[in-house]
Amino acid sequence: MHTTVGSVDTTQLLKGVLDLAVLAVLRDSDGYGYDILRRLREAGLEEVGDASVYGTLRRLFAAGLLTTYVVPSESGPHRKYYALNAAGRDQLTRSGKTWRSFATTMDALLEDRGMAA
Amino acid sequence: MTVTEQDITDYVDRVRAALADLPPAVRDELTEDLPEHLTEVAAEADGSLVDRLGEPEAYAAELRVAAGAAGPATGGRRDERIAAVVRRLRDRRDRLDVRLGPLLGYATAGEFLRLLRPAWWVLRGYLAAALIGTLGGGLTLFPRPFQSVLAGFLLLVVAIPLSVSFGRRSGELRRWPRVLNQVTAVVLVCFGLVLFQSLDQRRNDPIGYYPVENQYDQVRDVFVYDGEGRLVRNARLFDQNGAPIRLGYPDCAEPGRQDEAFRAGYPYCPEQAPFGPRSVPTPPGTPPTASPEPTATPTAQPTATPTATTEPTPQPTR
Repeated sequence: MHTTVGSVDTTQLLKGVLDLAVLAVLRDSDGYGYDILRRLREAGLEEVGDASVYGTLRRLFAAGLLTTYVVPSESGPHRKYYALNAAGRDQLTRSGKTWRSFATTMDALLEDRGMAA
Repeated sequence: MTVTEQDITDYVDRVRAALADLPPAVRDELTEDLPEHLTEVAAEADGSLVDRLGEPEAYAAELRVAAGAAGPATGGRRDERIAAVVRRLRDRRDRLDVRLGPLLGYATAGEFLRLLRPAWWVLRGYLAAALIGTLGGGLTLFPRPFQSVLAGFLLLVVAIPLSVSFGRRSGELRRWPRVLNQVTAVVLVCFGLVLFQSLDQRRNDPIGYYPVENQYDQVRDVFVYDGEGRLVRNARLFDQNGAPIRLGYPDCAEPGRQDEAFRAGYPYCPEQAPFGPRSVPTPPGTPPTASPEPTATPTAQPTATPTATTEPTPQPTR
């Protein structure tokens, strides 16, 4: 199929690193679903989908990388906060390393060809 | 706020409907705090939920992919534990596979068993036919539905090739048909065991295999008389193949000496002879159970006794 070969699609890239991105935004402070979504978008991941983030949080929780707790609020709905646990931090460290080495390789590759921006 | 509680409930319901194929537990887990999340989304900005998030079905599809719900990994920790047990059992099976293989002369036992698969397909076809063959009849080795041998033959002709061709394509089966296939195999094997067991029992059961009334059943002893009406002692009976004919039992012999009585030949109990006292006495000096006599018997006795040995000597004495 020739149609899939083309310019780099950010949503395609996101699929591979959304787990890492979600873990990363939870590194410094816990957050609830919509809050996490907002943080990702503010960090520059504009294309990230609501359902993708929500689903990713459920999956990371099911995999035992996150813990949750509910915070009641007077104004809006109760909020379910997600927090990294030890396994989540380990995963973040390992995936972070993988990403860095991958990114370095890609950078070097682009540099060699004189295509760096 | 332009989005109402009802809008959120509707949206969640449509998402859940789009995930209806997932196991209920997984679906509940995926959507349990979706209403709160959507309330949050709705509170942040204007516009309907569909404007903000897209159609619920698309949302559900994205959720499904992101949560990895297409695969079995999303079921939670309990599923993971089960998966771990399954993995351990598989490892053990693989080790056993490799260890048993050389005993059969193959790299793995599985390699040998795979060679037997076509044989199993044939057997499976036969068992299926035999199972159908029990309809309207009993358990029979040859399928005989409603007592019709022809129908049984047709059944075999159809079932066996069908089973073989099905077996060749069984690799393409999806999960549930494959499970069904395995369950069927277990049922057929169980049926086969019952079938063979019942046939085995019938074979050991003499009724129906031997005539109920054997006219020699009641014979306890055999008395041979020669042309002159004299009782012949130490007689042997043989059939056309030279096999000894055994009738009766030496009731009168002492418990320890019955084997001797058998070897001595008929009659076992000469004193119970039904006719006359004109018994032919044994040659003088040899007791009835003596050993030299039996060696000569099979061929010599029938011709020799009446003329040579018995007649001349004993007659005058009695």
